[in-house]
Amino acid sequence: MIKTLASRTLAFFRSFQLTIVLLALLMLLVVFCTLAQVELGTAGAVNAYMRSFFVWHRFSFLSFPIPTFPGGGLVGLLLTLNLIAKTFGIQRSWGKAGMWLVHTGLVVLFAGEFVAGMMQVDTNMSIEVGQTVNYVQSYKNMELAVIDTTDPAWDEVYSVPDTLLSKGGAIAIPGTPITLNVKRYFPNAELSNLAPGTPPSMATAGVGPGISIVERPTVTNDNEMNMGSVFVEPVAGGRSYGTWLASTAIGAPQSFTHEGRTYSLSMRLRRQYLPYAFTLKQFRHDVYPGTEIPKNFSSLVQVVNPSQKESREVLIYMNQPLRYEGKTFYQASFGKNDTLSILSVVENPGWLLPYVSCVLVSLGLLVHFAIVLRRSLKRRQDKKES
Amino acid sequence: MTFVQKYLAWGAGTLALLIALVFALPGGKVRGFDAAGFGNIPILDGGRVKPLDSLARNSLLVIHSRQGFRHEGRTIGPDEWILDVMFRPQVADQQPIFVIDDPDVIGLIGAQQKQNRNYFSFADLSSHLEEIQKQAQTAQPIAPQKRTRFQSAIINLFDRAYLYYKLRNTLQLAGSPGLGWELQSISDAEASARHQDLMQLAAFRILPPTATAAPDAWQNVGEGLRAMAAGQGVHPALVPLARLNAAYVANDAASFNLALVDMKGVVATLKPGALGHANNEIVFNRAQPFFVGLSIYFVAFLVLCVSWIWKPEILRPTAYALLFSGAVVHTLGLAARIVLMGRPPVTNLYSSAVFVGWGAVILGLIVERMYRKGFGTAVAAMAGFISLLVAQNLGTEGDTMGMMVAVLDSNFWLATHVVTITIGYSGTFLAGAIAIGYAIRKHIITKVDAETDKALADMAYGIICFALFFSFVGTVLGGIWADQSWGRFWGWDPKENGALLIVLWNAIILHARWAGYVRERGTMVMAIFGNIITACSWFGVNMLGVGLHSYGFMDKAFYALTAFIVSQVIFMGICAAPARFWVEKPHRKA
Repeated sequence: MIKTLASRTLAFFRSFQLTIVLLALLMLLVVFCTLAQVELGTAGAVNAYMRSFFVWHRFSFLSFPIPTFPGGGLVGLLLTLNLIAKTFGIQRSWGKAGMWLVHTGLVVLFAGEFVAGMMQVDTNMSIEVGQTVNYVQSYKNMELAVIDTTDPAWDEVYSVPDTLLSKGGAIAIPGTPITLNVKRYFPNAELSNLAPGTPPSMATAGVGPGISIVERPTVTNDNEMNMGSVFVEPVAGGRSYGTWLASTAIGAPQSFTHEGRTYSLSMRLRRQYLPYAFTLKQFRHDVYPGTEIPKNFSSLVQVVNPSQKESREVLIYMNQPLRYEGKTFYQASFGKNDTLSILSVVENPGWLLPYVSCVLVSLGLLVHFAIVLRRSLKRRQDKKES
Repeated sequence: MTFVQKYLAWGAGTLALLIALVFALPGGKVRGFDAAGFGNIPILDGGRVKPLDSLARNSLLVIHSRQGFRHEGRTIGPDEWILDVMFRPQVADQQPIFVIDDPDVIGLIGAQQKQNRNYFSFADLSSHLEEIQKQAQTAQPIAPQKRTRFQSAIINLFDRAYLYYKLRNTLQLAGSPGLGWELQSISDAEASARHQDLMQLAAFRILPPTATAAPDAWQNVGEGLRAMAAGQGVHPALVPLARLNAAYVANDAASFNLALVDMKGVVATLKPGALGHANNEIVFNRAQPFFVGLSIYFVAFLVLCVSWIWKPEILRPTAYALLFSGAVVHTLGLAARIVLMGRPPVTNLYSSAVFVGWGAVILGLIVERMYRKGFGTAVAAMAGFISLLVAQNLGTEGDTMGMMVAVLDSNFWLATHVVTITIGYSGTFLAGAIAIGYAIRKHIITKVDAETDKALADMAYGIICFALFFSFVGTVLGGIWADQSWGRFWGWDPKENGALLIVLWNAIILHARWAGYVRERGTMVMAIFGNIITACSWFGVNMLGVGLHSYGFMDKAFYALTAFIVSQVIFMGICAAPARFWVEKPHRKA
């Protein structure tokens, strides 16, 4: 009984029907994902259709979303199982060597996309000419930074990620006597000056009392930003320092003093500090003569890494990224009259897999077609002789 | 095939090549003026040095949708036209070259019912320029996909009128006595304002860099005059230009031709090599290899169609020879583009269409050599014809040899990824075309010919394998390029998704066939569907207007694409129609 079940499962995963159904589902998903990008932006559409196990849809008559279509994750997983089962099903003979290579290569390719989907971290680094930067920042995720600015030469940074803020409650900041009471968190909000006659703000300190805040739905579109905002009440040594409004829409940090130490509060894009620093020495934006057509963007960067006793210059330009300590830095954008360079930073432990796969599949297809061609030429020869 | 038949066939092919050669020869003088020689002057425009002739052709294409027009019983070519626009605007302004199709726009400019209603001269537009500009500026901020038909049309008209206006004020301010007068009155009271206008309106830079300037520092006439007014001396090219101007206005062909020799002398000293490059490009412009190739493919297709009902033993080889000549012209054109640009064959949408056609024709020639049924010829000629026709329509948007933006500026990846993926497109289209031929044949052929059917199915199958290989490798190479330049292998960008769809579809066809779910006819229906997928991923994604690969929205192309999809669905229906619809029913198996 178990044996038949196992062999049936195996037969199921090995079947051509499954392959074709899955490939067709994948095609549909790709079409949906492409069309959805007009509304959701690339990242939003990819998360909804490709990097999920089900595509969820919220019907107006139901209070909860229900899965309406298998997502890219599920289809990809099944396709991988199908591929593996199939690969083992291929005759172990030299005549099938090409097919072996192709299918192994495809498994590697899928694995690469899984690794990218699960583990790839996209951040960016913007540096102005002459500036030194030792962190990368997220595109969308935010954090509430509590910075001890007492020592003018040294900032001690404590940060609370937005995921923690959204849970609310009291958050103790380790290394400091401060506990933050999160009163209310807005993933996206619109801030404006408090008009006379409107109900007063929750905030009692800083610039908050003069600002009215309206919650907005979060955006996923690539060129829109969420304005994460939070009402927090820092408490230290049993004393409350009032309720503060921190938001990415408020530029300047707001600070308070506790027992002689000054702490500033600011909401900002989540940062990851690096054990090394980049200094932008020069940014170039070349155009073709007499036109606005960009010919090249390049950033001349000084990489300083004390732990490796390393200090060297690197030129990062189009199609020529810097791969450093597991991260890859690409020339992505620029601003402020060509004095600001924005590098996009990607950390993907599986970046090599597609390269391996490409070689395997191309080789496999070549081998297979060569074998087929030889066979058909031989058949022709036999026909002629007979 | 007898000797005479072979002789006839290849004679026809050679004749086609000779006709193509005639196109490349220079034309005669216009009213005694060496207009072609004038078109040979190198200029800097769009970031590259090109002959004035290229600019004239492209501008006329943008404004008029053709490279020449008939006016007062004469055909006016691009070189003569640009001469008139720049030196005798009062003449050029009367030539009806602006095509306006949108009835609302025609209404806006208050046009009278004319005999030739859709063509207007600049003089017709001139009293409405302010209104056109006002309307265009209101429409400009709206995203291209969201513009109404009127808004798109008015922006289009404004762009064309502005281009014309700039051309007319590049070498001299229209309405002024000319460049010679400008040189004489270099220091009068309004001179500085005029120089400013000339600098701002200049459509191109014609003064080659002087010996002391940077090698790319071409100047326009306004800049030259300003430098002169600032006491930096007369740019050596300004004097012969002024003489060209005066001679053309005075209708003095002899002095014009003499001044032209001097102008070229100046260019040759200042920028050696520019003239030679311009010369090569001019030969390419005149030869119009893709237009000639398109015509030869069409004739080849017609000859082949006739061969099915009349004298196949002569006409089929003739059609093959013609296809071969077309392919020679097509290949030479592609090679010329590669040499002129110093880039791999595919750099933009236009050149991708040219290359897809070329790939399909070459594949078709090979298939015909293998099967000799006339079928490869028919499909290849048709595919070549259609893709070059598409290219001709895509080429009306300006310079087809424009510079590559920074991220695309990589000959290595253009040569590998772009070429491989485009060959994949060619293959998928060719398989689809064979399938269409198969479908039509099933319904019109009067006797059952299982052998030919089998041969066609084999051809389609082989080409699908070929297409899968190239589209897969091309897609993965694209991923690797993306990893190199944007930091991720795969980003589900619309263009990447389009390429993936082609790979997936070809894989589905092959797996369905291997598993035995579809046979001959099923494979063919699926191959036709491949056409739809390829067309959508080739052009459709540009219409979405999202993603890193979107190089511009094309509204007209949207209707063309829809029509194409509908036609393919009909062909799928025809192909899938069961045996009782065929002219001759196959014998039932007993």
